[in-house]
Amino acid sequence: MKTPRLSSQTLRVLERFIERPTAWRYGYELSRATGLKSGTLYPILMRLAKYSLLETKWVATEDGVPPRHTYRLTPNGVELVRATFAGERSTLKVRRPAFSGGKA
Amino acid sequence: MIPAGFPRSIAIALLRFAIWIAPDDTHDWGRGMLSELNHIEGNWSALLWSFGGAGVLAKHAILAVILPGRHRGTFSTASELFAKEPPMRKPVLAVIAACTAASLLFFLAPVFRQAFQVSLAQWHDVFHVKLGFGYPNPDPDLDALVKRADQNHDAEGLAFVANRYHSQVRRAHLADEAVHLDPNLTWLYAVAGTGYLSPSEIDRRVSLLKQWDPQNALSYLMAAQKIGVSVEQSKEFPLGKTEENPAWEKEMDAAFQSPKLDTYLDRQRQLDHRVLSRYHLDDPFQAASGEDWYGFPIYGAWQCSFYAQSLLESGKSLESRGDRKAAFEKYFAVARFGQMMGDVAGFTVVMRKNMEQAYTRLGALSQTEDNNAAAAFYAALADQFDKAADKQRLLLRNRIQGSDVSHWNAFLVRLSGLGLLFCALLLVLCALGVVVRNRSLRLSSLHTSRLTLGIGFGAAFGALLSSAVLFVSFRPYSELFQRFLSKGDDAGLSELYSFLRDTQLPLGSQFNFGPGSWYVASWNIVFYFWSAVTILCALALSFAVFRHFQTRPQSSAAA
Repeated sequence: MKTPRLSSQTLRVLERFIERPTAWRYGYELSRATGLKSGTLYPILMRLAKYSLLETKWVATEDGVPPRHTYRLTPNGVELVRATFAGERSTLKVRRPAFSGGKA
Repeated sequence: MIPAGFPRSIAIALLRFAIWIAPDDTHDWGRGMLSELNHIEGNWSALLWSFGGAGVLAKHAILAVILPGRHRGTFSTASELFAKEPPMRKPVLAVIAACTAASLLFFLAPVFRQAFQVSLAQWHDVFHVKLGFGYPNPDPDLDALVKRADQNHDAEGLAFVANRYHSQVRRAHLADEAVHLDPNLTWLYAVAGTGYLSPSEIDRRVSLLKQWDPQNALSYLMAAQKIGVSVEQSKEFPLGKTEENPAWEKEMDAAFQSPKLDTYLDRQRQLDHRVLSRYHLDDPFQAASGEDWYGFPIYGAWQCSFYAQSLLESGKSLESRGDRKAAFEKYFAVARFGQMMGDVAGFTVVMRKNMEQAYTRLGALSQTEDNNAAAAFYAALADQFDKAADKQRLLLRNRIQGSDVSHWNAFLVRLSGLGLLFCALLLVLCALGVVVRNRSLRLSSLHTSRLTLGIGFGAAFGALLSSAVLFVSFRPYSELFQRFLSKGDDAGLSELYSFLRDTQLPLGSQFNFGPGSWYVASWNIVFYFWSAVTILCALALSFAVFRHFQTRPQSSAAA
């Protein structure tokens, strides 16, 4: 499976998605949650979608308001994110003793 | 006061435009950004949101132009392919065609064609083609004119070219030929210059000029100049002591005693007018190139000040010995010649200090002799002279540096000329791109992306706008040139000269008056131009390589 480059901003976005992997998210909501501007957020979302890690859907919200574009991780995306964060956690576990005086 | 909803309206318009130019496969994303605007609190926040989103879409639009295949998906059917690249919109195409046609229509006007040629003058130096104002490169137009004038035995035609050739030797040769055909053109020896000629050749020309116009101080100034140069070169006298040379002093004395000072500027302009009309020359550079000597041969300016100073010192010496009459004559000679220079050549500035001293001494002498009326008269003359000198200094500075109006118009002409070329290039590239991608010339079968259409529209409109600005900016100078051609009205030639001089410098550079600065500036510009081209190419290549490695898909360890 090909994956995009995982920058710190991409990891922040993925972190938000993995909190509730099955939930559909809005762009503005993600922007507020990650603190990323639209100019940074959307290229990340587009790249994730390009690698089939993210799926998109238009949903109608309320009458008179245009539908919104929503995003959710695909099973492949969920798998990648879990593997990535699991790897990071294990790395942290190994490293932590060195910084915490061996108390971990 | 900005209406509260204005930023949100701008945000919506901006995102809509960005979606319009963006590749089709990013439209959903763009619409997603647009729909989020309904949920963003705060109008300014909405605007900031749209800036970011529009930037992303614009980047994709540019990449789609640079790498056309990047945004192409796999098309399963022909109808899907055409859905991605819809047929060219007729109204947009009509507007592009109308703007292009209107821009091309400008070329039917001779004034515009001339303006376009003038706007190209900024590239002459970069690509080493001839310049309008005396440049060492051969000028085919002038060479052709010499041939025609030779065939017609036209002395005035030869004289016209003699004033314009860069080569001093050729100038002198043509001046000789013209004077041989028509002795009434002997004044040419003063205008065409005598630089780089042997002393005997200069003597011969000056002698002819003295015989032809013995009342004029100019020939004596030329002779004095020749002596001054040879004295400085021979080191016979210490540097700056030319005025101690008796021969030089004799010529200068004759010049100061001469009843008139004629620079032959009027004769030159009349001759230019006749020749331009006779040979139907419509090159404004040729009309104004005689202006570069500012109306007075440079050899006459500074030595007059030196001689005037020696006269003043001599007058003071006579005054101290009690010979007031002789002293008065010395001071009077300085004042008279200074006025003559100011009246004829506008070069009072170089003799300002001498004149002030002359008037002061004349006033003081008159006071000593209880001639209060004369003293008041000289005081009034001194006052008038001061004001006139200030005015002339301003005029001279404008003549040399050019007016703000001519600088601004020259800038507009150069900018619009560049804009026209750039827009024309964009239009041609767009048209070629569409034809090559569709492999057809039939309008109905041509399909193009919205970005290409947008660029085409922008280029066509830019071409029209550039044409209009070029025409409007050049028109006043064309009228000055036409007035000179048709009526011989030379009132605007100085303005035309400074305008044309500015148009020869590439955009962004400035003309600096000073010894050799013209050439230094020109060659630097050539260097900077090609350096900029090389650096931009290197940057573009680096960027392409960087983007290639950055966007290359990485293999996942998990896979």
